[in-house]
Amino acid sequence: MQIFPRSLNKLPQAVGAAATLGLVGVTFLIWYYFSPWFTAVGYMPKQPVPYSHRLHAGQLGLDCRYCHVNVERAPLAMVPPTETCMNCHQVVKTDSAALQPIRDSWASGKPMQWVRIHKLPDYVYFDHSVHVTAGVGCIECHGRIDQMEQVRMEKPLSMGWCIDCHRDVKAKQGDSEHIRPVAQITNMEWKHEGHVETPRHLDPPENCWGCHR
Amino acid sequence: MSKRAPYSSGNGNGSLPASVDTPEFPKGHVDTPPSEESMMLSRRGLLGAMSATLALVGAEGCRRPIEKIVPYTRMPEDVIPGIPSHYATVYQRRSDALGLVVECHEGRPTKIEGNEAHPSSFGAADLVAQASILDLYDPERSTTPLKGGAPASWDDFERELGAKLAGYDKDQGAKLRLLMEPTISPTVLRMRAALAQRFPKARVHTWSAVADSNVREGARLAFGKPMMPLYLYDRAHVVLSLDSDFLQTESGSVRATKAFSASRRLRRAGDTMNRLYVVEPARTTTGNMADHRLRLPAGDVERYTYALAAELAKAGVSIAPEVTAAIGKKADANGIPTKWLGVVARELAANRGRGIIVVGSRQPARVHAVVHAINAALGNVGATVGFAPVADASELDVAQDIKALTDAMGGGQVDALLILGGNPVYDAPADLAFGDKLAKVPFTAHASLFADETSEKCTWHVPLAHEYESWGDAQALDGSIAVRQPLIAPLYAGRSDIELLALAAKAPEKSGHEAVQSTAEGIAISGRQLTACGAPDDMGTVQCKDASGNAIPVHTYELERDWTRALAAGVLQRAQAKQLSPALEAAAIGSAVGAAKGPAAANGYEVTFAPCPKMVDGRHANNTWLQEMPDPVTKLVWDNAAILSPATAKELGVENKDWVKIGSGDKSITAAVWIVRGQADKSIALTLGWGRKKAGRIGNGRGFDAYPLRTTDSLGWVSGASVSKADGEPYFFAQTQDHDSSENRPIAHEATLAEYSKQPNFPAIDAPPLRALPLWQQQDYSKGHQWGMAIDLNACTGCGACFVACMSENNVPVVGKLEVWRGREMHWLRIDRYYHEGAEAGGSEDSPLEFHEPVMCVHCEEAPCENVCPVNATTHGPEGLNEMAYNRCIGTRYCGNNCPYKVRRFNYLNWHNDSVWKETGGLPETLTMQQNPNVTVRFRGVMEKCTYCVQRIQATKIAAKRQYRDVKDGEIRTACQQTCPADAIVFGDVNDMNSAVSRTSRIDRRFALLQELGTRPRTSYLGKVRNPNPEML
Repeated sequence: MQIFPRSLNKLPQAVGAAATLGLVGVTFLIWYYFSPWFTAVGYMPKQPVPYSHRLHAGQLGLDCRYCHVNVERAPLAMVPPTETCMNCHQVVKTDSAALQPIRDSWASGKPMQWVRIHKLPDYVYFDHSVHVTAGVGCIECHGRIDQMEQVRMEKPLSMGWCIDCHRDVKAKQGDSEHIRPVAQITNMEWKHEGHVETPRHLDPPENCWGCHR
Repeated sequence: MSKRAPYSSGNGNGSLPASVDTPEFPKGHVDTPPSEESMMLSRRGLLGAMSATLALVGAEGCRRPIEKIVPYTRMPEDVIPGIPSHYATVYQRRSDALGLVVECHEGRPTKIEGNEAHPSSFGAADLVAQASILDLYDPERSTTPLKGGAPASWDDFERELGAKLAGYDKDQGAKLRLLMEPTISPTVLRMRAALAQRFPKARVHTWSAVADSNVREGARLAFGKPMMPLYLYDRAHVVLSLDSDFLQTESGSVRATKAFSASRRLRRAGDTMNRLYVVEPARTTTGNMADHRLRLPAGDVERYTYALAAELAKAGVSIAPEVTAAIGKKADANGIPTKWLGVVARELAANRGRGIIVVGSRQPARVHAVVHAINAALGNVGATVGFAPVADASELDVAQDIKALTDAMGGGQVDALLILGGNPVYDAPADLAFGDKLAKVPFTAHASLFADETSEKCTWHVPLAHEYESWGDAQALDGSIAVRQPLIAPLYAGRSDIELLALAAKAPEKSGHEAVQSTAEGIAISGRQLTACGAPDDMGTVQCKDASGNAIPVHTYELERDWTRALAAGVLQRAQAKQLSPALEAAAIGSAVGAAKGPAAANGYEVTFAPCPKMVDGRHANNTWLQEMPDPVTKLVWDNAAILSPATAKELGVENKDWVKIGSGDKSITAAVWIVRGQADKSIALTLGWGRKKAGRIGNGRGFDAYPLRTTDSLGWVSGASVSKADGEPYFFAQTQDHDSSENRPIAHEATLAEYSKQPNFPAIDAPPLRALPLWQQQDYSKGHQWGMAIDLNACTGCGACFVACMSENNVPVVGKLEVWRGREMHWLRIDRYYHEGAEAGGSEDSPLEFHEPVMCVHCEEAPCENVCPVNATTHGPEGLNEMAYNRCIGTRYCGNNCPYKVRRFNYLNWHNDSVWKETGGLPETLTMQQNPNVTVRFRGVMEKCTYCVQRIQATKIAAKRQYRDVKDGEIRTACQQTCPADAIVFGDVNDMNSAVSRTSRIDRRFALLQELGTRPRTSYLGKVRNPNPEML
């Protein structure tokens, strides 16, 4: 009397295969879905004013540094004060409903509250100026901002991703595709073709205190 | 030297010979502040906390938190977010003004540094100035005017004060009195004059528990007008301090330390250094630096001075005959070691014009005057001793002045009393019963930072603005004047002393800014002494008058330019290069000495009062950094103590932590005992500023209040006190270093000057051979920057300024007294001190020599901590820094256990929130404003340690990279180095042969701490050299 059919003899193999596949699957799921490539990239929160980088930086051709003035001299590139918006919008689009928060801020003196997109952990002391003056363009971390209607996170900004670039640049100097002439840092169309003269010997840190203190 | 047993074992903490304080649980736990009482969580509490945490994990984990970016609306000029700005200002320290540069992050002052351009600072700041930034943010500062203890508004106060004062216009304010602290501010003096103009019969009194009245009066006796002496220690070969702690608590200690240490910095064997003799009752920072130290009760210092003068006369020094005649009758060398007269007199006589005798401010004026006469006879006046005019020539002796006020209050002659700053109810002489008399005055108003003991007894209290919140100015000891510019708008609705005086005087100036600017224009219009400038005409020209009344037109742009320059530089007007060298009025000194009753013969016990190096007179009692800073002498934290010598303790039958009852007249206090070897017998030392009742949560009830014993005629000390053992459970003291012997281990290298010239590399000779080889392959440190430090133990005075600077720069938390007792203090920098008898350098069992050594992470090239970290949280950087990544740390504490220097500190708790501020729900928001945004605020469960101020290294490196250049030597200064008044700390690139640190590390007396372990530390020390006089041994 046979209780179990013969076909069940394959069950252990099937279970084994499924478990293996499952393990691989779970590994992949964690590897991808728990990584900043999934959790961070693509983050695109709604801002209080639908400011379009595509319009301002792309079509109008404003240089990044018109608003982010401190990018070459300070750790923070700086989100511009309301004053910068009002430089133009006192005369341009003065009746736009979308710009009402800006005008309110200007009138009341209460600052705008933008939603942070590119957020590094508090124990990371990132400095824009040292990257920009080395010839790392805006596009390297922020992507094609000039094509974004609404800014989204383009790169994972994870430590592994940072270190990959640091190692590449340290090894290849001006031949690294992450490096461009300092004059071209805000140029979104610039392509790396061949060696670039670097303004200084590039020695990006790979030790802990390079970025953490 | 190698043959010497450098540090005899036992004879621990100056306490009992051969006692190593065994840690026992504090049974007599009398001072358990509520905040520290129970760190233990009950089982129920733990379960509750765990379940709450679990609930939160579910709620918070899934979405990334939304963070807002809040930019400015209108961008302030000169602010670059992320880059700190620096402003020059000035801070009053007793009779001196300390020029400072304050670092501000987006308008938030965070760190105090010295101002190199200021003549009292030369770039250094002392520990109190360093800690003052925390007072600014103190959450317990007074926030609103109080009327009878109930909150009121400034308008109410203005109305009531205005009405009260208007009533005095008729009788010119005959019953109006103003009590303020001694001032060095030209604008305060100007406003005070304006008040006197409105109320010519009103009287101004000055009082401060820690004042320089005797110093001023001494100069007045000797030279006919009140002046402040200025000592040029860098020019002196021999210095004799008579009860003067000129390196720590006296006025002008920063400039004194700069100059003193400069002449102890030996570059090579064969260099000469000064010799310091100190006569004092209790150990001080100055006494610890002494080459020869005589412990003598404060009451005997006068006798010693007279006996020394007689001895000097014998040695051929022609002291003015009127003076010698007067002291001749009183000279009594009984009990004073003959060497301390003969040898010291000979040495002073041999160094005419190259010696200094300095007297402590608690010694009576006549002693100061006699010493001025001696200094003049030795040719020191004009060579090493100069004089500068005082800021307020009308200031009287503070004790007599407050006595006159209290007498008037008691006699009903005072109808209104305005108290500007200070805390007289707490610190006025006890015999005056100031607090009781205050009740007899119908209208009293007290302006102060805190609603304190005095505020409580006044009808009105109004909040005073902190120095960093208000405009002001200050005259330094040498006479130079600096403007104090505010760094932040008043946090707690305070107003400055200048504004309050202007309000009372109905002065035309509306704001402190206006008042200070017009004073400044009066002082330094284009370097000319011009006054009375009117309003500008159409062309922007103002008509000023010079000293002789001639009209001089000055353009407003000149005024603006000078003002802006003065603000930027931090100095408005420099003192004249030449100090005053006035003529001696010997007859006056003679008659003052003759008229005085003293020196009184010693009877009974003596109790000496000295300003606390941390609390000063009690004004910094609510400052957590200072409370937790170990006392430079006793290493006690959160307390003072009655300091006794071992012999006195034996006589009284008391031991450490026992209680004594100290009585004088009809007043008495009880205090716990701490025994210090080197304390004079029959003399008990108490520091002022403790035992506050209304200081705030931090300062209340800490330590023992000495003020009840202090009377008008005994501000310095009382003699004939009755002292007896009192009952009570042993007091609970916490110390950061409870063992004071180096146990013969070669960690504290020293030699005498003679030994040093014979054996320049004495530390290396003393050191044992290398006994551990590196575990791993050696890294190549020959390329790039390699950071290192050098600490000159001969220059270091152990004052502790570096200690507070480090806490301020690196967000070092405070843990509270109980946790310090448990050994959990978090200080990244500590100052170790060892005692040894060292007879070859003049030490003895009763008065051992002291050795102090600042220790922070030495950044070993072969770091033992790195070898044991299981998670690579501490690693080695390419520039030689031993790096600590807090986020990797899992808190095994292996590294701390394996560190031979014991410089690693573990966060057992989230100290910032869960220690002294736990009851208020964590670190108050205002205190978080002080924190350095460029340093991680460490959480519980991680190790931390000195980083060589890596944030400063990185900021400077990045700035250099930005400019496509290399980092210059001296550009990076660690916080401890920056503030060191002794310039004992040098930091830089050890790969650069010409850097200051390389040059210092090549000095022959270099050693590396515990080099025999093969750790190859990056911090070098320079061995200490003492300069004993062979004749004294």
